[in-house]
Amino acid sequence: MNALLARFGRKSKPQNDDSYYTAGQFALIKARFKRKTSGVVAAWILGTLVLMGFFAPFFSPVDPTIRGADADYRRGAPQALYFWDDNGFSLRPFTYTYTKEKPKLDLSALAGGNLNALDALTSGGALKASSQNKFKVDKEQRRYIQFFVKGWEYSLIDLSVGGLDLDIRWDRHLFGVEQGQIHLMGTDEDGKDVFSRTLHAIWVTISIAIVALIVKLLTSLLVGGVSGYFGGRVDAILMSVTEAVRVIPAIPIYLACAVALSQMDLSPIQRYFAIAVVIGALDFAALGRRLRTHILTERNQDYVLAAQLCGSGTGRIIWRHLIPSFTSYIIVDTLINFPYVILAETSLSFLGLGLTEPVNSLGVLLQKAQDPDIQQNMIWQFFPVAVFVFLIMACVFVGDALRDAADPYSEKK
Amino acid sequence: MIAESISNFFADSWLLWVLLSIGSLLWWSGRDSQYFNYVFNRYLLALMTLLIVSGIVFSLMEVLPGDCAEKYIAYKNTQGETITQADIDAERARMGLDQPLAVRWARWVTDLTLRGDLGFSCAKRQSVNLALGDRFWMSFMFCMAGLVFSYLIAVPFGILSAFTINKTWTDKNPQHSKTERIINSIGLSCQKVLDLVLRIVSYLGLALPNFLLALTIILLYVFAGESMPTGLYSDEWRNVPWFGADGFSWGKLDDFLGHIWLPIFVIGWSATALQLQTVRALVVDESNKLYVDAARARGVDGVALWAGYPVRHSISPLFNSVGFDFQRVFNDLPIVAIVIGLTDAAALLIEALAMTNDQELAAGILFLVALVVISMNFFTDVVLAAIDPRVRKSVLGN
Repeated sequence: MNALLARFGRKSKPQNDDSYYTAGQFALIKARFKRKTSGVVAAWILGTLVLMGFFAPFFSPVDPTIRGADADYRRGAPQALYFWDDNGFSLRPFTYTYTKEKPKLDLSALAGGNLNALDALTSGGALKASSQNKFKVDKEQRRYIQFFVKGWEYSLIDLSVGGLDLDIRWDRHLFGVEQGQIHLMGTDEDGKDVFSRTLHAIWVTISIAIVALIVKLLTSLLVGGVSGYFGGRVDAILMSVTEAVRVIPAIPIYLACAVALSQMDLSPIQRYFAIAVVIGALDFAALGRRLRTHILTERNQDYVLAAQLCGSGTGRIIWRHLIPSFTSYIIVDTLINFPYVILAETSLSFLGLGLTEPVNSLGVLLQKAQDPDIQQNMIWQFFPVAVFVFLIMACVFVGDALRDAADPYSEKK
Repeated sequence: MIAESISNFFADSWLLWVLLSIGSLLWWSGRDSQYFNYVFNRYLLALMTLLIVSGIVFSLMEVLPGDCAEKYIAYKNTQGETITQADIDAERARMGLDQPLAVRWARWVTDLTLRGDLGFSCAKRQSVNLALGDRFWMSFMFCMAGLVFSYLIAVPFGILSAFTINKTWTDKNPQHSKTERIINSIGLSCQKVLDLVLRIVSYLGLALPNFLLALTIILLYVFAGESMPTGLYSDEWRNVPWFGADGFSWGKLDDFLGHIWLPIFVIGWSATALQLQTVRALVVDESNKLYVDAARARGVDGVALWAGYPVRHSISPLFNSVGFDFQRVFNDLPIVAIVIGLTDAAALLIEALAMTNDQELAAGILFLVALVVISMNFFTDVVLAAIDPRVRKSVLGN
């Protein structure tokens, strides 16, 4: 934001030379990052999305599971918010009451087994999917938006570790309506709220990516660290295996592992972690190679020799001396890889081999978008697609700005 | 009789002889040429990587459920025969599936290196080579076309993006006159906006899931009331030969081009984002080096400076990564192929992995993709060592 403000008139403070030269690597990266307008804007969007995803139960007005499904508003269109209409202006936004019209089907004619009546019924258009979506809008009955309303109880943050019970539960939601439920982005076939589902899906997808990236980091560090530190034959063997893994296309391998996983009897949580671990563990090749090259050049430095003379073991030297020397690089690389990991999860879900219904993940919600019924009759179910596009774009722009900011030579001019 | 058995012997082991003769040729040339020595080493390295790849792919296929014998017997079961576990075990022993993994892998690799035989696909009931046929080449051409498409967009725009990276929106140079500053500021802002728009468009290719993009385009055709560009040909041209009675059939070519642009466009667009990022990072890295400053100090400026120094030097790492780019593009192809209804190797791969659990077919396709990537890497390494003095110096040491 500072970068934006600075653009519009406010002069940036003159740089204090001392603080510049004594600043740590992260302070420098942060300072450079702040100067990239597109990166800063993208970081704000990303931050908002992640925050909304993390506190999804608070931000979503309706329970996204089948418990919160609105049986009276299946396949319902988004309910718009208004500030004024023919009946006057209101500072508090409101929405109308939607009721389903009873289908005017006269089934009595069919009672006698009259096939002509059945033909007339089916060709009459009363059974068409698009007419099933019709809801009657009662403009006289406004439903006003309430803030911090009481709703279903949820766990805000679950810090329970071991025996410690630190599950903070709450039942207030940012907004809601007094009677019934509000469906900002419509509902799906079961009457589940699309808006709430999408919010919940964001965090599921992001947490998969985080787990996958942590696993990836650990495997890369293991392979790169061992291979770079020991060199010689260990290096040759590990690197030829890495090279081979790097050459095989990744998605088919994920697929094979996912097929194997689908044979096992796993609970949804286990399946979710297994997929994240598979995605992460097989992606070590590129980062592992680069870490190895880095360690190969660093291990002959004097500080490593000093540590060896002081009696540090191999593991200690790798973990405490070599790895901190390129933490910033690792972090930046990890963040840049974020969108690609999310995409891997989505393509697995598309093929029905990743997470599956009723789990809310962006991949699962995107998969629904290929259904012709949804494409033609429930276009509002494309809302997760828009969120997904925003999420990926924000990730990529933040990654770009971070890459530029982490480049120590970009200061020169 | 002897001549026949000799010709049989060579027909059964032709690939081994080809590989051996290439190797010995390179070794012979490498005795007194450092360059060919390097090529020979790369050749050995490529073959070794292929061996490891085959091991990984083959053992990976073990995780797929079921095996050939079960499928074969299951088929018989549908024909009304009652079968027992003993039947399955007998079938397994007949196919050699009861032997340990290492033995089966060794047999597979031996067949492969001797005759280029990729094994037998039990779901298709024919050899993998036959089942694949031209389909692998089709996938290969799709990937290459998508790659070319993405390079055509990513390289110029990546360079442009790198060019504007450290520029400000406004010109604050106090040595310029006020009108000069305003004109420069407008120019700079235009460049920045153009860069932003191009980046957004190219990243959209990444952010919009492939299958959705393909589906949307198909839907647009449906809404417009035109025939969908799915598959490779439309129905009327499917059975028309390429070379008919009245010469080359241009109508078929037209129809073909009207269909293949869709997969190429979809996978090309999604590959563009990463290419653009790579080109941008490479050019920025190079443009911060001292030789660029030296050139600037000599008075080289503008396009001549950029084209002659940083851009020229960032081409070779880009060229070097063609193999891995191919692999990355191939990643996207299966899903697109399913949505569009292509019948190429990528669609076969998905079918073999996710539906029929056809281990040998999937292993064969994966191995072929790896083979293409490894040969591309070998080729680019060799070419770069020949033409790029920096690479030559680093690999040959003089």
